[in-house]
Amino acid sequence: MTDLKVKEIARLSYARPAIKRGYANQTLYVNLSDSKISIKPVSEKMKETFVGGKGFDLWLLWNAVNKDTKWNSPENALCIACGPLGGTTIYPGSGKSIVTSISPTTGSVMDSNVGGFFGPYLKFSGFDALEIQGKTGAPRVIFIDGINQQVQILEVTGLPQGAHEITEVLTNHFGQGKPRNISVVSTGPGAKHSLIGLLNFSWYDPKRSRARLKQAGRGGLGTVFADKGLKAIVARWESVTLALNDPADEETLKKVAKLHSQEILDQDPKQNQMSMVGTAHLVTIMNDYDLLPTHNFRYGQHPQAPNVGMEVYRPLFDKGFDGCWMGCSLACSHGVKDFAPTTGPHAGRKVFVDGPEYETIAGCGSNHGIFDPLHIIEMNFYCDNYGLDSISVGTSIAFAMECFEMGLINKTHTGGMDLSFGNKTSALEILHQIGRGEGFGRVVGQGVRKMKEIFSKEFGADRAIMEDIGMEAKGLEFSEYMPKESLAQQGGYGLALKGPQHDEAWLIFLDMVHNFLPTFEQKAEALHWFPLWRTWFGLCGLCKLPWNDVVPADNKQTKEPAKVIQHVEWYTQYFNAVTGKSLKPADLIFMSEKVYNLQRLLCLKLGFGRREHDAIPYRAMGPVTVEEYESRAERYDKQLKEIHRIDIGGMGTAEKVKTLRKLREEKYEQLKDAVYERRGWSKDGIPTLDTVTRLGIDLPEVLDVLKAHGVA
Amino acid sequence: MVLVEGRQFRWREGMTVADLLADLGDPYPYAVVRVNDTVVSGPDFEKAAVPKGSEVHLIPLIAGG
Repeated sequence: MTDLKVKEIARLSYARPAIKRGYANQTLYVNLSDSKISIKPVSEKMKETFVGGKGFDLWLLWNAVNKDTKWNSPENALCIACGPLGGTTIYPGSGKSIVTSISPTTGSVMDSNVGGFFGPYLKFSGFDALEIQGKTGAPRVIFIDGINQQVQILEVTGLPQGAHEITEVLTNHFGQGKPRNISVVSTGPGAKHSLIGLLNFSWYDPKRSRARLKQAGRGGLGTVFADKGLKAIVARWESVTLALNDPADEETLKKVAKLHSQEILDQDPKQNQMSMVGTAHLVTIMNDYDLLPTHNFRYGQHPQAPNVGMEVYRPLFDKGFDGCWMGCSLACSHGVKDFAPTTGPHAGRKVFVDGPEYETIAGCGSNHGIFDPLHIIEMNFYCDNYGLDSISVGTSIAFAMECFEMGLINKTHTGGMDLSFGNKTSALEILHQIGRGEGFGRVVGQGVRKMKEIFSKEFGADRAIMEDIGMEAKGLEFSEYMPKESLAQQGGYGLALKGPQHDEAWLIFLDMVHNFLPTFEQKAEALHWFPLWRTWFGLCGLCKLPWNDVVPADNKQTKEPAKVIQHVEWYTQYFNAVTGKSLKPADLIFMSEKVYNLQRLLCLKLGFGRREHDAIPYRAMGPVTVEEYESRAERYDKQLKEIHRIDIGGMGTAEKVKTLRKLREEKYEQLKDAVYERRGWSKDGIPTLDTVTRLGIDLPEVLDVLKAHGVA
Repeated sequence: MVLVEGRQFRWREGMTVADLLADLGDPYPYAVVRVNDTVVSGPDFEKAAVPKGSEVHLIPLIAGG
């Protein structure tokens, strides 16, 4: 039993406001340097311009930082928000939080969305967002007690190290016999030893009598959290009802929520079966289409991929309700019960593993040339327990493995480890080393961008080849889809504001499989609409999965099936029913466009957000090596001959690689031009004065940034 | 017969997924089809058999992660 010692450092008692039309109308501010706690009002103008969720986060971050602020500067703010629709119990996927901060891996703005109870509990406790500045050397816990209407900064000693144990101890401590009233945000020991730390958000699973974990994984937000001296943030709230969010039109809300929920119950078993296998259904499909990253994105297919497909995981997932927020009918957060890790501090003990999801299966499995389902579950568990992003861990280890196989690094650099693809023992050992901050794992935990620098400067490795094969952009590791044959998805990754994460645009099927986007203009339109629509979920406290992971039976008969217009209309009704507004679907896109451009401008304020920052490695565009080219020679030869009208007779493979590369890199630059124009940005990728004026974000602070960067 | 999205449809000897989609005359570009408990992707439509009495779902995969 952990001997927990809790000492109060600061306390703020407050009168909890009633939620009005989805808003608490105030945000919570905590400064860990001087132990200050205060409350900031939310104005009508702030709601009108930034909506909530990610919009509020970004505006708080904008005002917290200056052009010189780094990820570990005391003034860097870690912001967590829900959104006006968040906390609704009857509409599927309505419990999301979104976290923003300056990232340790990109140096620029990061956002990461996550399930669990925290966001709704924060709002019902009286705060639309939480902003944390400052740093402290002592272990701190922020306790937001919405029931007793007080916020405390606590010095807590005696906490265990791992995220699962921290969550369990704090849930029991603060739950006072009612663990469902608690949500814990925490990281783990790997976060402070690496730059790729994540945040675990808990939700209590009453049937299994345990706290479950969801992850805000991308961009090292857990590392920011640990650097600030935080061990955990705890929110406490009691029963949640529909009326609590004060919807303006409860009847319409019930009606539209019932339609969407019932459709999921009817259609999901026929479609992707998310409620049974989650995103694991994607593994074999991606493999069939040559889209599943294997061996550090060299290839998109492997004959052993079915070994880690959904039919393997289906019987391993524990049966039961797996909704990370109350009332979600999609309920896709599956997990494995009584799993016994074979290595590390939990070796031989039975644990519950939340996952694995597709990204972890691909990142920590196929991309390492490993097709062992139990190995992936173990990697999943320790990533969560150590507080590490399984996507960045996966892509970073894959990069190190390829460097090892290429002879760019060797055993003298890895501490004697054989890092050949497929080596499960080494993959797990690196993960444990990242968790402990030791050995070669400490290097891998810096992420791909820093590894390239270290391998080059300290080990003498060839920088140019590492720039080609290192799967990062803006400093963020790629998520796990092969974009080589889809120019639109190359843009979906490269032009994403925070870096190559697929949550802005996933256009591979539209572009590559169906060829629905043959022109630059069509690709640019898709790279305008989809990122804006997906941004909207982050403004409101919603999960995007119910939008397009299950669709109406007659969706295929609509003009643009990929947009799932029926759902867009339902979401518009949902927004209006909660807030009392009378918006149309196009208005939602306009709402997002303001925030999207604000984020680009915040990147600019921090010294990023220009054309040069939208570059991607060539491995994301095409075959880097002769071996890669020859593995799909028929495809590439055909493209050179039939699309580009090039006489390849007499050309060796190396020359074909070079020729194809020039063509593909030119196309990517042309795509940038088309997308910037559609978004109302300059050739350098900066929102124009006309654009910020049209969007109503021509605030003095914004205009100052534009002026400082030569846009008058 | 086979059951396609809950509706009976004629079956023929040696029928593949590609045959079934052609017979259905549905112009939608399906990427994935589930035949009983087996998921079949587009590249395999021409070689994947549809056994007599199968339950078939035409999956409109448009999402991704």
